[in-house]
Amino acid sequence: MRLAYTEDQELFRDTVRDFLADRCTGTDVRAAWAADSAISTRWAELAKVGVTGIVVPEEHDGLGMGDEELAAVLVETGYAALPEPLLESAVAVGLLAEFAADAGWLAEIAAGRATASVLLPGRRLAVEAAAADVLVIGLDNGDLHVTDPGACELTAHRSVDRSRKLYTVGFQPTPETLVASGAQRALARASNRGALGAAAQLLGLTRRMLDMTVDYAKQRVQRGVRIGTHQSVQHHLANVLIKLEFARPVVLRAAYSLARDLPSADRDVSMAKIYAGEAADLAARNCLQVHGAIGYTEEHDLQLFMKRAWALGTAWGDAGEHRDRIATDLLGDAPAPSTPSF
Amino acid sequence: MKIVVCVKYVPDATGDRGFNDDGTTDRESVDSLLSELDEYAIEQALKIVESGVEAEITYLTVGPDDAKDALRKALAMGGDNAIHVNDDDIAGTDALGTSLILAKAIERAGFDLVICGMASTDASMGVVPAMLAERLGVPQVTYLDEVTVEGTTVKGGGTVKGRREGDVATELIEAALPAVVSVTDRTGEARYPSFKGIMAAKKKNVEALDLDDLGIESDQVGLSAAWSIVDTATKRPPRAKGEVVEDEGEGGVQLAGFLAAKKFI
Repeated sequence: MRLAYTEDQELFRDTVRDFLADRCTGTDVRAAWAADSAISTRWAELAKVGVTGIVVPEEHDGLGMGDEELAAVLVETGYAALPEPLLESAVAVGLLAEFAADAGWLAEIAAGRATASVLLPGRRLAVEAAAADVLVIGLDNGDLHVTDPGACELTAHRSVDRSRKLYTVGFQPTPETLVASGAQRALARASNRGALGAAAQLLGLTRRMLDMTVDYAKQRVQRGVRIGTHQSVQHHLANVLIKLEFARPVVLRAAYSLARDLPSADRDVSMAKIYAGEAADLAARNCLQVHGAIGYTEEHDLQLFMKRAWALGTAWGDAGEHRDRIATDLLGDAPAPSTPSF
Repeated sequence: MKIVVCVKYVPDATGDRGFNDDGTTDRESVDSLLSELDEYAIEQALKIVESGVEAEITYLTVGPDDAKDALRKALAMGGDNAIHVNDDDIAGTDALGTSLILAKAIERAGFDLVICGMASTDASMGVVPAMLAERLGVPQVTYLDEVTVEGTTVKGGGTVKGRREGDVATELIEAALPAVVSVTDRTGEARYPSFKGIMAAKKKNVEALDLDDLGIESDQVGLSAAWSIVDTATKRPPRAKGEVVEDEGEGGVQLAGFLAAKKFI
């Protein structure tokens, strides 16, 4: 196994990186905070590059790529804190491609004319459900429904990261919306794609916070010296880099396993989500510390990345949930000893 | 028709660029990429084709092994094929020598229109398009902010028209094809390569040529044949602290005094 990007993946990454450096600045992310929906004209521009269709099958005008290429792109969207629901769309696309390819949404998403939102079993919030053109809902019993979000009762909830527009969904399943039953396996796979994608974005966010803070530490002068010359400041940042470098191959491994449907995919994805989450969490704390009081302010961009990291840390399963999955993988379903009663 | 777009692989302008001991460009310590100013030339070539002109677009670069990355990026943006002239004896070549190599390669490939960026982002001389036109014996229409091609037929012919914004006038210029044009960074933003373009680029042909293939002797190019060489280079001094004028009612006088002392007014 070669845990590095292929030449193509590197070119995709560079293209997305260049695009987002121009089109998704801190100002753009702030605009998404103020708007009702974070979906802007940038979605159609992303489609031109090929980003929105990356996992859409080729017969539906997409690129037909898999979780590895998706993860490589999502690292970059994390770095830029792209507000559009690229990950949610990609998760929905996987399910639509398997069970509702004829509905016509895939080509629309690839062309940047539509977005999809998704709600999987065990989750309560759908990102951008109100602005999405189609909502994909998986139920605990393995039923999969595809519906018009307009036909659902949507209630908005405020996220710590206000560019994430969250909704709970009141939904009445009908035979018309049902596209598959017994889809547990596909839903589990979709859930893994979500967790992997969140991990990939967390890597990008970690790198961004670190880059910003290294720059800041090189510039900021206090008591006549640049703060980056202090060993204690260097340690804070070096610790973030260590966490990031530990997490990176774990995320690549998870993408590799999921792309090939390996038996270890559940465990590998959970490992990735935990490692990337820990890296981003430490980055948020240490980078805030190094920035000092300015880092607390809404005027400074650090908070945009910090809050995205916090939001994604619990999205698609928090560390506890993923540790449980790893424990199950290692120990089987043996119940934990219960608390003795006396 | 055939369009040849000349592109250059240059050290990243945002990096800390420098020179080697012999005054040639240091390509080791800074990552290199396709010159941003050449992306505008690529964009205009693609626009010409999109406007309905039937044309084959060939990218041409002169540079070391890694310069193929610049061609790959150009091909990912669009276009048909590329030529990479690469020879150890080319190292240190100046603009005159470069224009010789480019001209020979362009003649070999055949052309109706040659499009260049206005200058490279490393040497920034902006003279190669004019030298090329001279060597190829065709008209030059340089520093265009807008460019269109009209009246081409399968047998050739046609004209290239352009607009050049100067300090005192806007010139509308046209030339009969074949011709050499250079375009500015005001022609319109260059597109991003698409993922499909990146995949397609892998199947496009990149022809590798050396000096022998072009009939150029090694003593015609390289550092020893260069008419312009870098004698010495001095790093720009770090920015000094500015002077702060405290306004206590006569700040304007102080400002005027400062500007007068520096001979600005």
